[in-house]
Amino acid sequence: MGLSFVKVYKANCNRLFLNNMVKENLVKDVVKEPYKYGFVTDIETEKIAKGLNEDIIRLISQKKEEPKYLLDFRLKAFKKWQRMKEPDWAGLGYKQIDYQDIIYYSAPKQKEKISSLDEVDPKLLETFDKLGIPLTEQKKLTNVAVDAVFDSVSIATTFREELAEHGVIFCSISEAVKNHSDLIEKYLGTVVPSGDNYFAALNSAVFSDGSFVYIPKGVTCPMDLSSYFRINSGDSGQFERTLIIAEESSSVSYLEGCTAPMFDTNTLHAAVVELIALDNASIKYSTVQNWYAGDEEGVGGIFNFVTKRGKCLGKRSKISWSQVETGSAITWKYPSCLLLGEESVGEFYSVALTNNLQQADTGTKMIHIGAKTKSTIVSKGISAGNSINSYRGLVKIGTKATGARNYSQCDSMLIGDQASANTFPYIKSQQPNSEIEHEASTCRISEDQLFYLQSRGIEFEEAISMMVSGFCRDVFNQLPMEFAAEADKLLALKLEGSVG
Amino acid sequence: MEIIEQIKTNKLVENQTEIQKICLHKLQSNPLPDPKSEHWRLSNKSKFSNFLEYPFNEKDTKFDIPFTKNAQSTIRLTIGKNSQIKFIEEDYSIKQLSQDELDKYIKEQIYCFDQNENWSNLLNLSLSCTKNILGLKINGSKIPPIEIFSHSSSNSLNAKTLVIFLEKNCDVELLQVNLGIENSSLSQSTYFYLEENSSLNHGVVSYGANRSNLLNSLNVIQQKNSEYNLGSLHFNFNYARFEISIKQSSGNAKTNIKGMQITKKDEQISTYTKIDFNGPNGFLDQINKSLADDKSHAIFEGSIIVPKIAQKTDASQLSRNLLLSNLAQIDTKPQLEIIADDVKCKHGATISQLNEEELFYMRSRGITLPEASKLQLSSYFQEIISFIPVSKDRWDLLDKLLNDN
Repeated sequence: MGLSFVKVYKANCNRLFLNNMVKENLVKDVVKEPYKYGFVTDIETEKIAKGLNEDIIRLISQKKEEPKYLLDFRLKAFKKWQRMKEPDWAGLGYKQIDYQDIIYYSAPKQKEKISSLDEVDPKLLETFDKLGIPLTEQKKLTNVAVDAVFDSVSIATTFREELAEHGVIFCSISEAVKNHSDLIEKYLGTVVPSGDNYFAALNSAVFSDGSFVYIPKGVTCPMDLSSYFRINSGDSGQFERTLIIAEESSSVSYLEGCTAPMFDTNTLHAAVVELIALDNASIKYSTVQNWYAGDEEGVGGIFNFVTKRGKCLGKRSKISWSQVETGSAITWKYPSCLLLGEESVGEFYSVALTNNLQQADTGTKMIHIGAKTKSTIVSKGISAGNSINSYRGLVKIGTKATGARNYSQCDSMLIGDQASANTFPYIKSQQPNSEIEHEASTCRISEDQLFYLQSRGIEFEEAISMMVSGFCRDVFNQLPMEFAAEADKLLALKLEGSVG
Repeated sequence: MEIIEQIKTNKLVENQTEIQKICLHKLQSNPLPDPKSEHWRLSNKSKFSNFLEYPFNEKDTKFDIPFTKNAQSTIRLTIGKNSQIKFIEEDYSIKQLSQDELDKYIKEQIYCFDQNENWSNLLNLSLSCTKNILGLKINGSKIPPIEIFSHSSSNSLNAKTLVIFLEKNCDVELLQVNLGIENSSLSQSTYFYLEENSSLNHGVVSYGANRSNLLNSLNVIQQKNSEYNLGSLHFNFNYARFEISIKQSSGNAKTNIKGMQITKKDEQISTYTKIDFNGPNGFLDQINKSLADDKSHAIFEGSIIVPKIAQKTDASQLSRNLLLSNLAQIDTKPQLEIIADDVKCKHGATISQLNEEELFYMRSRGITLPEASKLQLSSYFQEIISFIPVSKDRWDLLDKLLNDN
């Protein structure tokens, strides 16, 4: 009989003390921080007409000079999408999206062909500079290869030559369609089929760009790969598609970051990410998501409806998702692992922070199909303001997954008495020779700890920041160096106002 | 599914009472629950229609309680059989609720019923005739243990309803036994209303026979400082569903739940619980155990709702499951919805099989494998069985469970 581990975070608090804090609006100040990536780049863009129909899809495909199989893929997905209904099971409250009121393709106007970064519009470079993304050559020192996606298209990918020496392909998906068509045809849609769900079908029909990574057999990618997504237009949706293939015994670490300007309208972001790991391969996918979350009244913000899924096809393959979700008005995202190969491993580490009227419904699915597969889930949710933060997860052990093992932990922290934290773990087992453990707890900032830290001369805000940081430590430890620092900073910014 | 047709055409029951009319009206446009809803999604469709396939029967066949009454002064009642109930002693009184009181209370309940979520309750009340509704009002202390039976009749669908009011400062031990007869369906709904400072130790033992089905729903409302302890056991049903809804209407109450379901062959038994904290300082300790063998399917879904008003709630929920066969299935879904910030809430879930190391140890001491598994199982069962009050020894529950294995 498996042991159960249930952890309790004691929340024996001095009510009076916190009440005073609330009265003095201290907590409120602490969780309030303006969005600093909210600027708009004034750049000429090429947009197509609003609306969605077969002609628009043909137009997107034509603009990208795609082969016929891809157009067929899009049209098939569109047909499926038309027959589907927008899902409502998550119980997220948002205004009906008018899919005919969205621009499905928007690209910054630039010279026909770019041979080097010097030819990229300086305004664009400036934008990414402002966002702290190293695109220009002098920033090479950071040793991270970046693919920058602006609205619908990828504008630059750095470090290509160095990567090519190792046989690593890292480019935008449109380029991959042209240059590595065989790989795209073989793998696109194999992890997330075009009719998988409503938003995946929409993405399959209209996806404009995204990143493509191919790591050949036996290669350990010499540097971290990174893509940076920036939404600039207020009326265009972003539908990017990422495909990562790790051949036998290869490994790669991939980072993803996102920001958007402040608009008082909601922008739709429906991405699809597919990962494929063959024998002994390992993929680490990290996200720091900081889309614009809307203002305090919940006006504006990004609707982030993303389908992310990895397939551990090979024996002893490993896919690890780590994410820090701080932005978006609504996040609806379940990075999942299909564990097919024997002894394959799936991991999910997540921190989700919601404030004001943000809603986050995030979690993971671990589908154990192969024997001796293992998965670990660590999810930390922090909700402040009037936000709703839910963990929704599925662990499924199939009949052939003998010796499968899963451990899940989801902890929630509530700041203020208006926020809500929900957990919906769902466990299904059809294999007796497997072990599944799940634990969840909910707590608030402990007054004892706060008092202790303050008595040692640490400021209130700093003390809260330390405690939140400690609460998220398990997840931050899993992030790559650059991201860990960024995530810590981001959380501090979101939570601590000017102090932190 | 003749019954559903009868509901649609309103020909199910003659001489309808007012309550039956209201419930049938609620069901008429949508007589079946939505199979896609979270609440019914995992319900096996053919087994569910099996539940509805027996013709509805208001009358009971002759029924003998399988165990003789022991010398102890236990009060025994069978729903549908007792006419005038009145026990008035020095320390306590047990009286039947008047028709008005009963109607008023049930109507209040129906008012907040949702077609999908409370479908079992609505069906039950549509079918229960006045004779099959037992309403009691209990008052006082030193009350002897009470046993209440309900049973089905073969080749028919029977519906029984039990309503109990516990008045202030009252302390009761009550065992409810639901017996499924071969080839039959039983719909049982129970309503408890616990007034301030009252305490109820409630046991539910449901066991069926070959191909019997059960739809058991339990609705509890707890007032301040009341304590409700539930020990439940469901086994040997082709299809059984146990729905528990507990509401701590103004907080400051204690709830302990220990439930177990055992499925074998191709059975499906599910437990759905919903605990609502509607005031501060509520306490909940819940453990649910499932054991699934052969080709069976055990389901547990538990939701805990802590709104803003329910500060200082302390709730824990644990689901422990044993999966003993390659073809069996277990689904478990604990669920926490929390808005209040000053709370202690936790839940845990495990699914595993018998511990091999423990088995190995026992075998190395000369205990045979079947005996060693029995020992392990008995400790697994014991935690729940020891929580079921009243005459559990006489029922030999542990033996029954182990020897069936």
